[in-house]
Amino acid sequence: MINGLTVPVTFNILSNMKKSILYLIILLGLAACSSGGSGSEETKKVAVVISTLNNPWFVVLAESAAENARELGYEAKIFDSQNNPATESDNFENLIASGFDAILFNPTDADGSIVNIMKAKAAEVPVFCMDREVNADDAATSQILSDNYSGCVEIGIEFVKALDGRGKYVELLGLVGDNNTWARSGGFHSVVDEFPGLEMVAQQSADFDRNRAMEVMETILQAQPDIDAVFCGNDAMAMGAYQALQGAGKADAVKVFGFDGAADVIEKIGEGKIVATGMQYPKVMARTAAEYAHEYFNGRREFPQRVPVEVELVDAGNVDQYQE
Amino acid sequence: MNLTFNNQLLRKSQSLIALFLLCLLIALLSDKFLTTSNLWNVLRQISVNVCIAVGMTLVVLMAGIDLSVGSVLAFSGAICAGLIKFGFAFESLDLFVGFTVLGGILGAMLVGLLLGLFNGWVITRFVVPPFVATLAMLTIARGLTMLYTKGIPISNLGPGLEFIGSGWLLGIPVPVWISLIVVLVFVFISRKTAFGRYIYAIGGNEKAAFLSGININRIKLAVYGLAGMLAAIGGVLVTARLNSAQPNAGMTYELDAIAAVVIGGTSLSGGVGSVTGTVIGAAIIGVLNNGLVLLNVSPFWQQVAKGVVILLAVIIDKMNRKEA
Repeated sequence: MINGLTVPVTFNILSNMKKSILYLIILLGLAACSSGGSGSEETKKVAVVISTLNNPWFVVLAESAAENARELGYEAKIFDSQNNPATESDNFENLIASGFDAILFNPTDADGSIVNIMKAKAAEVPVFCMDREVNADDAATSQILSDNYSGCVEIGIEFVKALDGRGKYVELLGLVGDNNTWARSGGFHSVVDEFPGLEMVAQQSADFDRNRAMEVMETILQAQPDIDAVFCGNDAMAMGAYQALQGAGKADAVKVFGFDGAADVIEKIGEGKIVATGMQYPKVMARTAAEYAHEYFNGRREFPQRVPVEVELVDAGNVDQYQE
Repeated sequence: MNLTFNNQLLRKSQSLIALFLLCLLIALLSDKFLTTSNLWNVLRQISVNVCIAVGMTLVVLMAGIDLSVGSVLAFSGAICAGLIKFGFAFESLDLFVGFTVLGGILGAMLVGLLLGLFNGWVITRFVVPPFVATLAMLTIARGLTMLYTKGIPISNLGPGLEFIGSGWLLGIPVPVWISLIVVLVFVFISRKTAFGRYIYAIGGNEKAAFLSGININRIKLAVYGLAGMLAAIGGVLVTARLNSAQPNAGMTYELDAIAAVVIGGTSLSGGVGSVTGTVIGAAIIGVLNNGLVLLNVSPFWQQVAKGVVILLAVIIDKMNRKEA
């Protein structure tokens, strides 16, 4: 850990002496301030910085992270980055300045968020990533990640089985600028593309949005009335696609697959109307991150860099375990 | 006089010609476009944007802008769903009020109207530029939606509301009826009433309108109120269509509405344009969205294509006005 901190600083000094010395002074000043400010007697403050609150899944992640931190006896506050790395950067600056002691972090961007974590690291505030990863091994204290790619490999296997390796299908992508979209699509295609009998007749984006998915699916059904299956990059889109199929009277003929484990899709799997989804565990990730922060405050410094939280396949065979 | 009449006719018909050419092009490329079921889909899908864009037209005719419509749509949609599903409890009076579907819809329209009136009040009372006032409302109404829904969709709202979203009446989808009524009412208001003429007068020359004794503030207040109410009708339609109120509904819908207004030939500097033009503008966007998906164009190119169409529309409009 100590090595990890000094290496980039020395590198900076070599590359730009004056600027780095200034930076070092500011950095030491800040570090002194923050350790002086947060005396051991006071309640520690935990910040939950979340990529967006405009999606129920992330609301669950943010709120359970904050709740877990409170249950462990800390103050907790949620910051919304509105899917914007610049807003995220402001959030980090503000929370570092106002003396937060740890950050439970859901990054907006795998590369763009690294610089924000480095700011916190410079101020000796530990960062625990949740759900989404950043492409750096020496930035966050630990990353507790949902494995979107492997989760969708599982979905792909189930997909091939359900279709017996033959048929026409449609893929609804999420936001095309979001790395989860491509991790999920990539995992799915790594399996499905091995089967030449499976033909993708349309691949369109529906922005992870239920209404958009319904509209796009309605239109696709005009061009491709004889499809056998739909794979959707999240459950909101799976619900929208299902509603479009239902409206066209094709809900029984077309197999729908989602991803996330949203309550309404679980219900539809129970009724036999949607085939499968990948259950992600936002609450498990949030709890693990909060517990890690707790252990950090109690002196633990060695954490695994990546903690994968498995995505579980939910289908008709095991859906009863997930219904409340 | 004759000359200006011809010019006006040309201006009006040019967006209609563009719509016709676009339809022709897509019909040549896909034999699925000109089927009745696909055309009903297009009309049903544009009905939400038509409602919002009609309100936006009135605002833009006064040289204003309303960026808050997407968020107002989400909030009123959530209110509609919440009132129907949970009712409303006056805790201090220990009184609980249940709502019928119609009650929920009227409640949503009232909320939209109030938020719109608030926009108008801020703009007229404090002379805040409409761009800023409605930008503030964009985030306020989104926040209120999150507070009201706690970030989680409100689903399963019963068959009454579902009929409004997915039902048919006399061979025409119900959302199309609703948008048709909205269009007819506002074509009448904008063309045949004093209120409508005042809107054009304010947009053409606010000072002259003031000097001729028009109560500008009252007209503005009413127009922003109506824009909010029309956004609420859009919110009811989206909620009814999905039988579920999504907290992230209506994101960036303000941009589609503004695009419809501009493509339809209404000048952003006010005074020139029409509700019918906007309807054609909304149809162009709807047909474009539909055609791009029918042809399975890559989602990346779709965004570029939509932007190019908006640019072309505005450039042709500008050139025409210079010639005139």
